[in-house]
Amino acid sequence: MGKLTRRALLGTAAVGAFGLAAYGGGRVACSFVPRNHPDFFSLLDIPPDGAVARRIGEGALAEASLSSDFDGLAAAMKLRPLIAEAVATDCPTTRRQLVQDQCAADFAEGRCVVIDGWVLSETEASLCAAKLLRPSLI
Amino acid sequence: MIFDLQSGETPKEITGDVCVVGTGPAGVTLALELARKGRSVVLLEGGGEAYEESSQALYEGAVIGHGHIDVAASRLRQFGGTSGHWTGLCAPLDALDFETRADIPHHGWPITRADLDPFYARAHPYLDLGPYRYDWEDWRSIVPFPALPLDPTKILTDVYQQSPPTRFAEKFMETVRADPKIACWTHANLVDVTLADGGDVVTSVAVRTLDGRATTVKAKTYVIACGGIENARILLNARKQRPAGLGNEHDLVGRFYTDHMTIETSMLLFRDDVDTRLYPTSLKYDGAEILMGLKVHPDVVKARNLNNNSAFLVADYGDAVYSDDFRNYGWVAFSTMLKTFSRGHVPDRFAERTCDVVDDLGSVATGVYRHALRRVLPEKPAQAFRLRQDAEQAPNPDSRVTLTADTDPFGLQRIALDWRVTNEDLLRLRRTHQFIGEQVGAAGLGRLQLGVSDPPDPDIAYSGYHHMGTTRMHADPRQGVVDADCRVHSTKNLYMAGSSVFTTGGCANPTLTITALAIRLAEHLAVSA
Repeated sequence: MGKLTRRALLGTAAVGAFGLAAYGGGRVACSFVPRNHPDFFSLLDIPPDGAVARRIGEGALAEASLSSDFDGLAAAMKLRPLIAEAVATDCPTTRRQLVQDQCAADFAEGRCVVIDGWVLSETEASLCAAKLLRPSLI
Repeated sequence: MIFDLQSGETPKEITGDVCVVGTGPAGVTLALELARKGRSVVLLEGGGEAYEESSQALYEGAVIGHGHIDVAASRLRQFGGTSGHWTGLCAPLDALDFETRADIPHHGWPITRADLDPFYARAHPYLDLGPYRYDWEDWRSIVPFPALPLDPTKILTDVYQQSPPTRFAEKFMETVRADPKIACWTHANLVDVTLADGGDVVTSVAVRTLDGRATTVKAKTYVIACGGIENARILLNARKQRPAGLGNEHDLVGRFYTDHMTIETSMLLFRDDVDTRLYPTSLKYDGAEILMGLKVHPDVVKARNLNNNSAFLVADYGDAVYSDDFRNYGWVAFSTMLKTFSRGHVPDRFAERTCDVVDDLGSVATGVYRHALRRVLPEKPAQAFRLRQDAEQAPNPDSRVTLTADTDPFGLQRIALDWRVTNEDLLRLRRTHQFIGEQVGAAGLGRLQLGVSDPPDPDIAYSGYHHMGTTRMHADPRQGVVDADCRVHSTKNLYMAGSSVFTTGGCANPTLTITALAIRLAEHLAVSA
């Protein structure tokens, strides 16, 4: 077993401190990087163009209450105050939050649909439908 | 004192103030309470002090309704009754369960939750439970984990307590043996009930052993406490003086059989930052082991025409270490034996349990290994949960226990159980889950995927083995077999104890209510018997 020297201790501490600083710095830097992870999709653990999202889109389009063409759907979405605000904002984090808030407001006000078993807000069901009607979206 | 009717000289007649038939939680509690008040009790047990196949076989019958149920193995015919294999989860019925509901026919007891509260509190020591507190507000400051931030006018955090579980044979057999006011007779099977000629007073009950010994028990008052199926069977078989069966003047005995629909379905997915630590496992605080669930507020239950329900969150861990899929008969036997040994007792049905462990050694090894790993690995909270519940059924007169032509060695007809699981009950559960999903969405916590289809698949429902309702309590003799005191309407001195008197099943496991009702009945009989 080698002798524990002062030099070795200092070296280990320096490596540790450097590692911590690098990790912390990285975390701080990453917090400014916008992510393309819309929560209402990531929450369902599916990618926006996944099979489940497609089924939800199909189900949403079959719902009599939703418009079945893209422009009609978009127009209806913009009538929702928080979505209208989200469309007008450039900040992805704020936009995401506004969409989430609109979804929560839908639930609270009873604007819910059940599609493929999922209990969803009309807003997120409409987004899935919009994605289906125009796959290049997002 | 405990005597064995199968050994020694058979007494010609056994007498006491009160004859209690059955030594499960209802019968033993009632006997101990009455003895404490100075009443002499004759306590009859059809089985022995321990499990015997010949006695257990008397419980065999037919299942002619929903198939996910069993009528023999789910009960135990021995001292301690079915407490010998209950799982121990306890909660009182809710105030709502006792109410008459305009939207659900036949709903409502002639007593209230407030009437039972003092007896619930007294039942707690019998079942080795903690303080009588079932309101989340009573635990909020003690438990270090937060409840989900859901609107409390819509969704409540429901509190259950876990009994060790108390085995009545293990805990009370020696107490009964030592009590001079109790004469407990084992192998004493009730085979007939005799009324005074043309009257409504029970004068004696006939008792026999499987090897042919017979005697008569005479008391001032009689209580049948043999479980939700057997209580009905005894009354329906007692046709010597009442052609339709004792207490069955209005064709109610055996009807309104209700059970809890044990269903694990629907998936809740939470955001990664949602703290769910309160829910997936039981927690030990303040002398109690508590388990929390989600319950729809009673006002919403009524407004939306739902059944009562408490949904527990079963974690769906990505890491197999946290999965409980090793829990099978072998594991349950192993766990039971370990707990019993740790309390300094030898487990009953030792050989049977040992063989269960041997049969499922792989699962037991997996369970031990995972439990050990969980102690050293960092905690990984799950964010996906299935909803597990013992869901309520609406009272249904077509769900029933009837007699078949097949007879047991005493010549008593065996039973057929026609348990009905209706689409409406399942659709109410679907709406309950949908409402939970909407509230979780409104709070921005996550999403729910429904597991109850529309139209529903009844195969998702399994019996909770909570046999209830077959001699239901109601103030009106045309709507119930027993009155608010548990007395059979059409007799003066015959009472029923146990879950057969439940008018509604609610969603709480029944043993606490069975025990509370037994204490309440003892209070009544101590005055009137």
